[in-house]
Amino acid sequence: MEQNRVVVTGLGTVNAIARSVPEFSRALQAGRCGIRPVTVFDTAEFRTHNGGEVQQFAPREMIPRHFSLKRMSRADCMAMAATIEALNDAGLFAVPDKLRGEMGVVIGGGAGGMLECEAVYRDYLLGTGRGVAYSRFASFCCASSADQIASQLRIMGPKTTFMTACSSGATAIGYARDLIQTHMAPVVICGGTEPLCRITYAAFNALQAVDPEYCKPFDKNRQGLSLGEGSGIMILEALSHARQRGAHIYGEILGYGVSCDAHHMTAPDPEGAGAALAMRRALEDAGVSTEAVDYINAHGTATPANDLMETKGIKTVFGRRAYQIPVSSTKSMIGHTLGAAGAIEGVVAVLAIHHHFIPPTIHHQTPDPQCDLDFVTEGARASDINIVLSNSFAFGGNNTAVVFGKFTDSGVSHA
Amino acid sequence: MLRRVVVTGVGLVTPLGVGKDVFTRHLFGGLSGIRPITLFDTGRFDAKLGAQVRDFTPQDFIRPATLRRMDRLSQMTTAAARMALDDAGFQIGPHNRDRVGVVLGTCFGGTDVAAQFGKVLFTDSPRRANPILVPNVVMNAPAGHAAIELGVRGVNTTVNHREVSAETAMAYAAAEIVRGRADVILTGGGDIISEFYFNVLTHFHTLSPQNGGMEEIRPFDVQRNGTIVGEGAGIVCLESLESAEARGAIPYCEIAGWGLSAAPAGPNDWPTDAAGPSLAMTRALAAAHIDPGEIDYVCAAANGGRRSDRLEAEALGRVFATPGRQPRISAIKGSLGEGFSSGGIRAAAMALSIQNRILAPTLGLFQPLSPLNFVLKAETQVSIRYGLVNGVSSGGTFAAVIMKKIG
Repeated sequence: MEQNRVVVTGLGTVNAIARSVPEFSRALQAGRCGIRPVTVFDTAEFRTHNGGEVQQFAPREMIPRHFSLKRMSRADCMAMAATIEALNDAGLFAVPDKLRGEMGVVIGGGAGGMLECEAVYRDYLLGTGRGVAYSRFASFCCASSADQIASQLRIMGPKTTFMTACSSGATAIGYARDLIQTHMAPVVICGGTEPLCRITYAAFNALQAVDPEYCKPFDKNRQGLSLGEGSGIMILEALSHARQRGAHIYGEILGYGVSCDAHHMTAPDPEGAGAALAMRRALEDAGVSTEAVDYINAHGTATPANDLMETKGIKTVFGRRAYQIPVSSTKSMIGHTLGAAGAIEGVVAVLAIHHHFIPPTIHHQTPDPQCDLDFVTEGARASDINIVLSNSFAFGGNNTAVVFGKFTDSGVSHA
Repeated sequence: MLRRVVVTGVGLVTPLGVGKDVFTRHLFGGLSGIRPITLFDTGRFDAKLGAQVRDFTPQDFIRPATLRRMDRLSQMTTAAARMALDDAGFQIGPHNRDRVGVVLGTCFGGTDVAAQFGKVLFTDSPRRANPILVPNVVMNAPAGHAAIELGVRGVNTTVNHREVSAETAMAYAAAEIVRGRADVILTGGGDIISEFYFNVLTHFHTLSPQNGGMEEIRPFDVQRNGTIVGEGAGIVCLESLESAEARGAIPYCEIAGWGLSAAPAGPNDWPTDAAGPSLAMTRALAAAHIDPGEIDYVCAAANGGRRSDRLEAEALGRVFATPGRQPRISAIKGSLGEGFSSGGIRAAAMALSIQNRILAPTLGLFQPLSPLNFVLKAETQVSIRYGLVNGVSSGGTFAAVIMKKIG
């Protein structure tokens, strides 16, 4: 059977600078910063206090009344809000009856229901006398976001959750694309979701990987990342299916690549060999040459190690052309949203193609002689973009790169 | 180009022993791995029993430098991955390490490490939280550790979707080999027993005994009253047929197809009808291009849960409805307990069943809840052409993998 082409027909997001996709697009072009003091929990005892928190998140206003929010974590609610936006955008909300049996959902997870369960766990440890609300653990597993989406939409296609820390969302998009390409589902809801929570916040602080101010990707004085939260969701669809129903097409998923550093659990391979392998595999899977890439949405966490190895990895793959490709880290605006990062950055990639712009790397003041690519530091740039490479690298050495393309009827060769 | 995928090795760290030889002897010999839990004090719980991994010496399989960085789950999965690779006789070198991957499933992963980490956070101060614990808090730690220990840079990912994590991981791994993205993938999964989730499961009334009954695990039995926890890791070495043939390896069996599905369910709860779990099986059958009647044997997911066993039995009855052509069915959690991400152990058991022509007994099953073709005692000299490993999970997620005898 011929493989399906896989297109993007709907987008949804909540993050530190936007609670909808149009707002996100404007904020990215304006270079807005969403990193400010965290309020979802008390940071007084922590080393740092800032994060990319979703502001005034009101799930009940974003999710229709007939959807239950019972037992849903903040992560579940963010994923559901982004899913509803994406389905509406795709013209698939409510989900048509004839699609329910086959529509799938693939989510990249992170801390899942940790934020809420931390409070329960603290009650348990400290014995507050109020009793321990064990029922909250029903949404502890990060699988509960996909479970809630599938159950409340009553869809019965393939459902799964990847948890590869900071590359979960990218892998989810890649696998959703595989499912459609190989005729396992005609439409898949995919993306990622991540809440700010104490355990994650303490973990990155314990590793001294957090910039106490705000992250400064690729800057000489970068000191670490800013943690963020949010969700990015895409509706992926077989091209034939999208055409048949006259759907608006944002872009195409051309391919993805996954690799492992096999180097160290928390530190990346300093030469960026694993990262380069993932990028090469993605380009090969997409049938795209290095010459054709117009923009790289970097992993760009702003840790000293990541940004240096990512720069090296890009040079390894692209050679001299590395210097001609705009590379930006949108984590400079929304922080590192971990399990959601690859998915939100996927939304960024599609918006960049659709609205013809390259989002900036903000907070970049001092060039680093070792990180010497075009990091789009002067602000968003208007540009016609056909091909975007989006990088996600994670603890455990889990690297994923995804290639997004402008949709053209002919399915042009991008080589 | 689509390629065929075969199983060339198995690796097991289980309550019934470490390594395929001991495991085979014990599982098919009808032994149970269930004993009083010694990992923590069960004094305050009604449930006291569990199928713990005993007699496991990780030093036998893992180098000291990587071993000291691993949590208990990563030790088990990495040891099982090493065993599967050795069982396959596959040598890793600079020429092939980018084509060898690790794709694991886990349900609870490093949750007990997160609990340890969080304890300091909440009872002392976040500033005293121990950075050494951090790498093992994340669910993808086992696959990351295995890749470092084995030195493999191919596809590496972790499925974290409750009890079907390992079945889904195997489906993903098989698809990667079919598509030519890797030649060999060590896949399956694992989970460990921890006091943290034992406590939570107690509050969800998941564990036997319920309703004043005896504490026992009775899969598919009318008297079942909850499950008993288990732990361990099971890894199968999946390889492209051409790679296996080129090096003269003799596979256990082939991966013939897989199917994934969902059904509406409450949070962490079960669907009310069998449509969801039936769909995963029928999708797997369609992918394998076979009729239900061609399945000879099913390694079921049943764990003694009141509603989950009923759901699975209904789905099996619905999919395999043709009289006289119904498969034999074993539920090996009667011996192994509910190991959560147990699909790797059950796939390894299926590979051993196909190779050795043996069906595993369903310990604890005396009065079947429905007239399916259950295997109560081990049976030998049974030819299995097609076997199905079934996965069902709370929250309404289902995965089935079909394994086929070669030739």
